[in-house]
Amino acid sequence: MPRVTLETLPDYARYLITAAEEAATHYPATRTVRLPRLELTAHVAPGVLADALGDAFVEAEDDLAEPSTCRIFTVHPGIGGIPEPAQWGDAHFTEYGFAERLAGAGLRGHYFHDLDFWQVYDPERHIGVQLMTSPDAFPPWEPTAPLRAFLHWEYAARGMRLTHAGTLGANGKGVLLAGAGGAGKSGTVAAGLLNGLDSVGDDYVLIDLAGGVTARPLFSTLKQDPQGFARLGLKQRLRIESPLNWQGKHTFHIADIAPRPVPAALDIVALVVPHIGGGEMSSIVPVSRRDAMIALAPSGIMQMPGERESGFRFFGDLTRQLPSYRLSLGTHPEEIAGTLADFLTRVVS
Amino acid sequence: MRDSDAYSVASRDIVFESFDGEAVVLNLANGKYFGFSDSGSRVWQALSSGVDARTLIGLNAGGSTLGAAELEHFISQLLELGLLVPSEAAARPLPGELPAELAATSEPLTVSTHDDLADLIIVDPIHEVEEPLGWPAVKQAS
Repeated sequence: MPRVTLETLPDYARYLITAAEEAATHYPATRTVRLPRLELTAHVAPGVLADALGDAFVEAEDDLAEPSTCRIFTVHPGIGGIPEPAQWGDAHFTEYGFAERLAGAGLRGHYFHDLDFWQVYDPERHIGVQLMTSPDAFPPWEPTAPLRAFLHWEYAARGMRLTHAGTLGANGKGVLLAGAGGAGKSGTVAAGLLNGLDSVGDDYVLIDLAGGVTARPLFSTLKQDPQGFARLGLKQRLRIESPLNWQGKHTFHIADIAPRPVPAALDIVALVVPHIGGGEMSSIVPVSRRDAMIALAPSGIMQMPGERESGFRFFGDLTRQLPSYRLSLGTHPEEIAGTLADFLTRVVS
Repeated sequence: MRDSDAYSVASRDIVFESFDGEAVVLNLANGKYFGFSDSGSRVWQALSSGVDARTLIGLNAGGSTLGAAELEHFISQLLELGLLVPSEAAARPLPGELPAELAATSEPLTVSTHDDLADLIIVDPIHEVEEPLGWPAVKQAS
């Protein structure tokens, strides 16, 4: 079993990309997904990952801009010409040091030790490799947002950003809901969708700062813990039989509860920081940009491999462009949605 | 013996942005981030840009006069948190607008540390390891 150190990391990453390209005739299936400004082609074996590529994305059907392309090989040693994944050979590992070493060589990457799961990407050639020990040896979060790391690297190279935030909107205008896990983002998004509002995502959305703040959808998946699922009436409405995900949450899709097709974009007019208020009624009050930045940036930066400083700058620019508010969440989904709908009307006018 | 009492940002892992005069600082290497009071933000900006700390003593800040002991305590916190290091470079002069900006502040000099990303780091893809042992000794949540 080869062992990779910080010293040999860039060479190993390039070796994986070359090996994956040379094995191109051996891949059992190819899927192409049309995303905002990007056509993603993934070579993948049939199974959970291939299924996820088919149903976890919101395809950008009306995106008029000419897309660029990227190509990701999801591979394992069962495919001819693909090597066994190497293990990490240095005594000390930090995600940051790993990413910095690759960035110095013009590459991006991530390594998940438990599974010897490698992801490497060449942003100049728009080619990436996801190397697994077997077709299903991927981290449990991968099917919810497949190939998330590659999209993060590709869009970051173009000045856009996968952002850890929820969204709600109406008539093309919307708010970004920012906060770490447990702040109430997902429940707020589901409450809004069930009561007539639109969303382009509740966990990761694509943000572009060219010409204002624009949020576009990438992933269609929504998540709710069993308590929220029951409170929102989703238990009766969706009758999901599938097991809870690795976080103990139900997963479903925006289209399952949305009043309309997912919009291609929302023009974001405010940054909103939700929190569980404790009162029956919701309220929205201004909050400092400092507090909004703290709610928005750190979790998104630290959950993504690499691009940390550029992410911090990006989220700083985003925060400066938007008015910021704190949303104290009431207890009734319909009332929460109504408060946000009224707020959107006020801000837009 | 240093000629001045100047400091610089401890490393390129320490990044910061300012919003309406309020600073947010993030340590990219470990995910810890820091919030400052309004007077703390102004003093952070001055110190991190190389202003001689001694020139801040006696200025109005946070509703009172900035004393040497208070400033020394604040600086020792920033050194301990790994945000600043002493600098041998020539100190920069006090920016002309800083006394008025400091005088307009209302909160005492404070810095708060946020490390609530520890859970995220443990459960989703990033590992934090025990520093002396390295991988595979994953740091356990305390």
